[in-house]
Amino acid sequence: MPHLSVSTNPQSKYCPVWLICVILSLSVVHTHASDVLRVPQQVTLSTNFKEQQLSISWLGGAATTFDIIILRTELNITVFYGTVSVPLDQVSGLQRWNWTSAEPLECTSLSVKVRSRDGQETSEWSNTQNLQGSDLPSNEQSQIYPMNRVVPVGANTTFCCIVKEGQEFGYIKYGNAVVNTTRLSRRSYATTVVNQGPSHQSGANVVCFDSLTTLIVGAVVFVGYPPLLRDFVCETHDLTSAVCRWNVRDPKLYGRRRTKYTLNMRNCLDEYEHVPQKKCIVQQWEGNWTLLAVNPLGQYRLTDSAELSHRVYPVAPTKLRVDAHAWNATVHWQWKYSSYFTLGLVCQVELTCHGIIKNFTVSGVGLQSALLSKLQPNEDYGVRVRCGAQQNFWKWGNWSQPLYFKTKTFVPDPPDLWMWINEDNTGQVVWKPLNRQSHGQIIGYEVTVWSREENVQHTHTFPPDAAAAAIDFTQIVTSSNDTKVTATVIAKNNEGSSQPASMVFRLTETHTVAVSRTVYENSGFRLSWQSDANTTSDYVVEWHDSACSRNCPVEWIKVLTGITNVTVDSPNFQPGVRYTFSLYSFSSEGRQLLQRWQGFVQELVPSSSVLLSASQQDTDVVLTWSSIPQVNHRGFLLGFNVYNSSGSELKLIANLTDKEIRSYTVKGLSEGTHKFTVKAYTSAGEDSGATASITLEPYIDWLIFELLTSLGVTALFFIIVTFFCYKKRKWVKRAFYPDIPEPKLPGDWSRTQGPLDVKPSSHSIIQIVEKSDQDSSKEMLVVIPEEDEDEEEHGMGDEPVDTDEPASLRYYNQVIDERPIRPRYPDSSTSSASSLDSGRTDVTYTGIQTSGSSLVFQLHPAGSSEDQQPPIDVIDSCSGGGGYRPQCNNAHVASHELFNEPQAYASGGYKPQSSWHLDSPTEAGEVGGLAPSLGSPTSVASTQFLLPDGERHEEEKQASSSASTWFTNLLSSSKP
Amino acid sequence: MAHRRSRHISVTEPSRTTMTRTTAIAEQLHYECCVLLELYKKKESFTTDVLVADGRLVTVPPPSSQLDTTDKLWRLHSALLQCSSLLEIAIIKEEEELGGGKTGDYESQRKTVKERLSFLLVSMGELRKAVDGSVSLTPTLEGLKLDGPTALFELKLWIYRIFEELDYWTKMVISTLQGLSSVLAKERARTTRMRSTRNARR
Repeated sequence: MPHLSVSTNPQSKYCPVWLICVILSLSVVHTHASDVLRVPQQVTLSTNFKEQQLSISWLGGAATTFDIIILRTELNITVFYGTVSVPLDQVSGLQRWNWTSAEPLECTSLSVKVRSRDGQETSEWSNTQNLQGSDLPSNEQSQIYPMNRVVPVGANTTFCCIVKEGQEFGYIKYGNAVVNTTRLSRRSYATTVVNQGPSHQSGANVVCFDSLTTLIVGAVVFVGYPPLLRDFVCETHDLTSAVCRWNVRDPKLYGRRRTKYTLNMRNCLDEYEHVPQKKCIVQQWEGNWTLLAVNPLGQYRLTDSAELSHRVYPVAPTKLRVDAHAWNATVHWQWKYSSYFTLGLVCQVELTCHGIIKNFTVSGVGLQSALLSKLQPNEDYGVRVRCGAQQNFWKWGNWSQPLYFKTKTFVPDPPDLWMWINEDNTGQVVWKPLNRQSHGQIIGYEVTVWSREENVQHTHTFPPDAAAAAIDFTQIVTSSNDTKVTATVIAKNNEGSSQPASMVFRLTETHTVAVSRTVYENSGFRLSWQSDANTTSDYVVEWHDSACSRNCPVEWIKVLTGITNVTVDSPNFQPGVRYTFSLYSFSSEGRQLLQRWQGFVQELVPSSSVLLSASQQDTDVVLTWSSIPQVNHRGFLLGFNVYNSSGSELKLIANLTDKEIRSYTVKGLSEGTHKFTVKAYTSAGEDSGATASITLEPYIDWLIFELLTSLGVTALFFIIVTFFCYKKRKWVKRAFYPDIPEPKLPGDWSRTQGPLDVKPSSHSIIQIVEKSDQDSSKEMLVVIPEEDEDEEEHGMGDEPVDTDEPASLRYYNQVIDERPIRPRYPDSSTSSASSLDSGRTDVTYTGIQTSGSSLVFQLHPAGSSEDQQPPIDVIDSCSGGGGYRPQCNNAHVASHELFNEPQAYASGGYKPQSSWHLDSPTEAGEVGGLAPSLGSPTSVASTQFLLPDGERHEEEKQASSSASTWFTNLLSSSKP
Repeated sequence: MAHRRSRHISVTEPSRTTMTRTTAIAEQLHYECCVLLELYKKKESFTTDVLVADGRLVTVPPPSSQLDTTDKLWRLHSALLQCSSLLEIAIIKEEEELGGGKTGDYESQRKTVKERLSFLLVSMGELRKAVDGSVSLTPTLEGLKLDGPTALFELKLWIYRIFEELDYWTKMVISTLQGLSSVLAKERARTTRMRSTRNARR
C-alpha cells in the first residue's frame, strides 16, 4: 500500500511548499490506483437458457475495465477472452456484463473468471465460477439442445447432442443431411447450421445418432419469418359492425407458433392459418383500429381509421325478381339489412343477352328495383345487380345471383326485301329470314306482287322457313312497256302481322354496266362509289356468285343515303368463288343499277386445265387449247405458261400474259417426240396443266430433194470417171494392164505368146513324182500315161474325177511359200478345169488377181471334202523323186486335180515371183513334205489382175469376178 | 380376461356375413394405414434410421391358443379401441403443436383412416354381438397413456408409432378373422356330416 507521508520545512517557504504539493499529488494518485485494481469479488453467474445468455456480475470496486475469460470447463478450452468496460451499477454496486453463447448453455459446463484492468496493469483473476452443463455425469441420459427452437430464416443455430453415459457418439443429421460436428466435452457434440431456410409446417428435425447409427435423441427447429401485414382496412356491411381485412405474408410458423392477431386489443380468431387473407369482425364501428400481429419471431402493427359512412360495402342484393314485357322489364330485389332502406344507393344492373353484356346504372334511397328498357321481344336475358353507397362511394358491393328471364312476344318487324329478276322476265322476291326480328315464332309470310298500271295483284302465302317467292312477271304485266311492279312481304306470328315491306321495280331495268374489280381485305370487300348529290334514295349492295345467272341465291345490304362506301362480308363467302357486287339506288320509283364489281375472297389456282392439242406445221409445232370454264378459274386468269415437258422437268418456253390467246407455235424443234404442257395461272399460281405429245415426222419434200441430189452427184461422178478413163485409156492400160513380155524359157518350152494354156496330150498326165533317190523333198512333173490313169481310175473306184477337160498336162506349183500363187478362175468358181490348169502353172504376173477367182492351191488336202480325200501317202510316194517326171504314174494324184477351197492360203495374198526360192529341204519339210520346187518358174501371160487376198466369201468372189470381168472387157475393148 | 367367462360360439349366417364385412373393412384399413405411414414418413422426412421399433402402445392380454373366439374378438376389439383413442389424441396434438387446417394428401389420408377405423370398430362390435349374443364387457381404455410426449421430436415419433400400432392391429384383425373363418367352415362341415350320419342311422 502506498503511504501518504507529509513533512514540513519552515526554512523553505516556497520551494518546500511546491515540493509538498507535488508529493501530495503523486501520493493521491498512487493511492487511487491501488484502490482500483482490486480483485473482483463475489462473481456470480445467471443464465437465460432460451437466449443462450450468461450474465456475469461482480464487485469490482471503482474499476470500469475488466478482463473476462470463459472456458469450457471439461476440456479447458477458452470460448471467450476479452477486455470489457463495465460501468458500475449505482443501485446494486455491482458490475454486470452479459455474454451470449454460440452454443446452448446446457451443452457443457463453463468456467468464468474476471480481473480488473487499468491500462496495462491488471489485478489478479477472481475465483472461477462454473456454470454446470447438462453433460455432468450425474445426468446420464442423452439430451439435445436447443429443443423446439424457433429461429428466423437465415439464422445460424448451434445444436449440441449429449450422449448417454457409455454411449459412443456417431453423427448428427439436420433434416436428411449429416452435418459436421465439434466435440464440446466428453459427452457433448455440437453442430452449427448456417443460413437456415424456412422449414415446412412441422419443422426441421435435428437427430443425433450413436456410432451404431441408432437414434439417440432428436429435436425440432422451426425456421420462419416475423409477421408482415398489409392492406389493412375496415368496412361495414350492415352499417353497424366493422369487418377488418388484411393480407399476410406466410410466416411459415404454424400450430403453437403461429401468428396471433389482436384488433383493438381483442383477439381475432384465425381459423384458417394457411389462408393469406385474414379478417376480423368488430361488432361496433369504432372508427380507429389497431391490428397487432405477434409470433415467436416478432410482431407487426397496423392501424386504420375511417367514418362508417365512408366505408359502406353493401352486401349483394337478394331474391331478384323480374316483371318482363315485350320491350322492357323491371327487376326487383331485397336487402338483407333494413338499414339500407334509408341509405342512398347507386346500383349497377348487368343485362346479358347472347353473351352481350349491357350495364344499366340506377340510384336512389333504399333502391330495390330498376327498369330495363330497350329490350327485344321474345328474347332471353340474364340480369344481376350490385350496389354501392351513393354518397361517399367506397366500393361496389358483391353481385347478386343472376336471374334469367324472357321478354314477351310481339308482332314481327317488316322483312328485309329484295328482288331478283332473270332475263326472261321471271324472277324471285327474296327476303331475309327474321331471327330476332320475328319477335316470336313466325307462322308464315304473305307475298303480294301487283302493278298499279295493270291493276293486277297476286298474293301468295309462304311457310315460315321460306325466304324466296318465284314470280313470273309475264303473268302480271301484259305490256312490254316500262311498267312498275310493287312487291310486298308481310311476316306473321301469333301476335299478328308485321308492317308490309315493299319494293318497287321495273321490268326494263338495265343489267349492263361496267364491271371493275374489288379486293377482299381483312374485314371484307370495300366498295365505294361516287355520291350523286341529286339522289336522295337509299342504296342497296347486292352480291352473288358470278357463275350463277338464274334465280341466284343473292345477298344484299341496304346503305343509307349519303353513305358512299361499304364493307361487305358474309359468312357464305367461299375462297375461289367469283362474286359479283351490284350497287343499286332504289326509291319509290324503282331501282337503278349504278355500278358493278367482281372479286374473290381468296384467289385459288384454276381447278381445271385447258384442253390442249398439238399439230405439226412444217418443222414447227402449233399448240392450241380451249378456254377454261369461268367457274373453274377460281381467280382472275392472268395468262398461260407453255412448257416443254419432254424431259424429266418442265422447261418454260413461253409466258403468255394475254389470257385470250389460245395457240402458240413452238419453232426450231428437232425430229422426234415432244411433249408440251400448258398451264393457266392466277395470282394464286398455276393449274395442274394439260399435256400434249407430238412426234415430228421428217419433211417429205426435203427428203426427196436430198435423194435426187445424191443420185445426181453420184451419176455425175461416174460419168466423169468414165470420161477420164476413156480419155486416158492408154495410160490406164500402161498402168494397169501392160503387155506381158514373152517368157524366156530354157530348153524346149514353147515361146508362144499369150496366155499359157498348156494342154498336153490327152494321153499323158504330168505328175509330180517323188524321186527318193535324188531329192526327196522335190516334186517333179511327170507325164502319166493314159493307161495308168485308167488304172488309177480303176484303182480309185468311184472317186470323182473332173472330166470337163481331157487328160491335161497339170502343173503343181512347188510349194515354196505359205502364200501360194492361186490359179485364176476366169469365169466363176465353178469354171472349168482347163482354166484351172492354166492357173497351175508357175507364172510371172503383171496383172491383178482377185481372190475369188484366183487359182486355188491346195496345201492341205486334209481340209477338203471327204470324197476328195487327197492321197497323202501317194503324194509322198511321188515326192521322193525330184524333177519333172511325166512317166510317174500316180493315179491318185491324177484323180485329184480339182481341189476344194484351200484353207491354208489365208496366210498370204499375192506373192510376186520375187518370192521364188531355190529348193530348200528345210522349207520342204516345213510344208509337210511336199516337193518345194519344180525347177525354174514358168512365165505365163495372164489377163487377170492379181488382187490382194481379201474377203473369202463366195458371193464376193463371184461379184468381184463379175466386176473384174467387166473391167477387163472394158479395158480390152479400149485396146487399140 | 379373468373376469370374463368363456363361451361356446354359435356361428350363424349373419355372423359369417359380418365377419366377411369386418375382414373387408380391415383389409381396406390396412391398405390405407400403409399409405398413411408412407405419407407421414415423407412429410416428416423420416428415414429408416430414425424409425426404430420401441414397444407397443396398446396394452391387451397376450395372445394365447387357449383363447376362444369370443376372447380373441374381445382382444382385437379392445386393441382397436385403444388405437382409435390414440389416433384421436395424436390428431389433436399434432394440429395443436404443428398446425392444422391444411388439406394436403396426408391430412386427407389421416381423416380417411380415422373414419375407416370407426367403421371397423362398429363392425367389430356387430361381429362380437353376432358371435357372443350381446356386447358385454366393453373394452376399456384404462391404463392407456393418452398424453403424448412434450418434446416435439418425441411427439412426431409417437404419432408414427400410433399409425404403426393401428397398422399392426389391423393386420391382426385380418389374420384372426381369416383364421376364424376357416375354423368355422370346418366346424360347419363337421356338423353337416354328423347330421347326415345321424339321419342315416335313423
